[in-house]
Amino acid sequence: MSSSRQTVLVYLVIGLIIGFGIGFFTPGLIQPGEVNLVPSIQARGTLIVGTEAGYPPFEMYNTTTAEYYGFDIDIAQLIADELGVDLVIQDMPFDSLIAACKAGNVDMLAAAMDLSAERARELAFSDPYLQTNQVMVVNGSSTLEIDELADLAGYEVGAQTGTVQAADIQAAIDAGAAIVLSTYASVAQMFIDLDSGGLDAVFVDEPVYEVYAELYTLRTIYTVRAAPMVLYCRYENPDLLAVINDVLGDAFADGTMANLVDTWFGG
Amino acid sequence: MQERDLPSLLVFIITAGLPATLLLSVVGLGMGFLIGVALALIRVYAEEDISLLAQAYENLFRGVPVLVLMLLFLVSTGWPAFFSAGLALGLRSGAYQSQIVRGAILSVSESQMIAAYSIGMNRMQTARHIVLPQAFRLALPGWSNEYAVVTKDTAWAGAIGVLDMVKASDYLVFEDPVLFLPAILAITLIYFVLTYPITRYAGEVMSKRLRSLGLGGDY
Repeated sequence: MSSSRQTVLVYLVIGLIIGFGIGFFTPGLIQPGEVNLVPSIQARGTLIVGTEAGYPPFEMYNTTTAEYYGFDIDIAQLIADELGVDLVIQDMPFDSLIAACKAGNVDMLAAAMDLSAERARELAFSDPYLQTNQVMVVNGSSTLEIDELADLAGYEVGAQTGTVQAADIQAAIDAGAAIVLSTYASVAQMFIDLDSGGLDAVFVDEPVYEVYAELYTLRTIYTVRAAPMVLYCRYENPDLLAVINDVLGDAFADGTMANLVDTWFGG
Repeated sequence: MQERDLPSLLVFIITAGLPATLLLSVVGLGMGFLIGVALALIRVYAEEDISLLAQAYENLFRGVPVLVLMLLFLVSTGWPAFFSAGLALGLRSGAYQSQIVRGAILSVSESQMIAAYSIGMNRMQTARHIVLPQAFRLALPGWSNEYAVVTKDTAWAGAIGVLDMVKASDYLVFEDPVLFLPAILAITLIYFVLTYPITRYAGEVMSKRLRSLGLGGDY
């Protein structure tokens, strides 16, 4: 068989696939208008919520009851109740949540996600429902002290992949600080590495630190206010966003939110 | 956080994670088998142009990591994680199984085909009654290797959110980091139990049997 024809065909197929890929990912070529999602959620009887279930106390998995639980799960349950449907949790890597929601894999995201400009470009965001601190955590025996992120130059710092904490450290690196950033898919693994000395510090939400502080000897050396935490859904589904905001508003008004905060974060 | 002993740890991994692992293996291998046999037949018997397309498919799917395929399907299509994982495993395995089956078809000796033609069989009949029955047997040792590869590669599905054995062990570690080593050792053991008997039987025992039947050359 002639090898030049073969090469042409191979490149043709590869070109076709790349072409489809570019077409798919180019915004503007496909512009779906606004679609009412609530009727289809109610027709299928389930609200599919994307999260990353390794983030205590926001989202966790109970291996005894085989159920997801946590602060965000309870809030997602409120929304499912309002819609009169069952809650289905779709657990996936944190850094693929936004793409999964955009693609329609899940109806909305409840994953302790802070509001950020980058995320707001991709997805619609709800009213804020919580604001936490971000803390730089070191081993209890560490003597490391910092005043700002740039002081971590020369140290190895862990953050979860795709989080604003990872983005903040990356921003400090881009600004010239020689920090070694290690990103982790799971915070559990990150704290294992901090405890064993593989990392000098980790950057997480304060409630997460408090959970792991019960397991390991840890202390915080730097605290900064995080952006408000929001739920995300697609811009194309304003009806779902309206329901989400109604539920959050009601939860704040009738004390449900205060109870949940007390349950999950109250000492 | 609760205490967990080893038996209950194994029970959790097996009840929560093993079904998805097994199902993904079956889906991946089954789909890969259909695609692989089709591609192999095309490459051996079809016209050159179509054969080139089959070759392009093989080159493409052998050149892309299975995790990349899974992520591509998951985030670009909106398909559920399990479906994306099964599809990625099946498409990729098809490219490899095509090679296995094609090799097996080609290793059936030419003189058998000449003999078949001489008693009046046509190409199709020769393929169906003479070549393929032997080729599938010859493909078994190589195929057992592909079985082991697909079974182990289902572990990537955990990384895109399928509750397989890897994800199940993740959940155990989230609950109690002390379980990291026991959980990893447990899934190591289970993967070994899943793959070793098959590769041993199909790879070694079947090879010997094939040789005793005068099939499969001198390996």
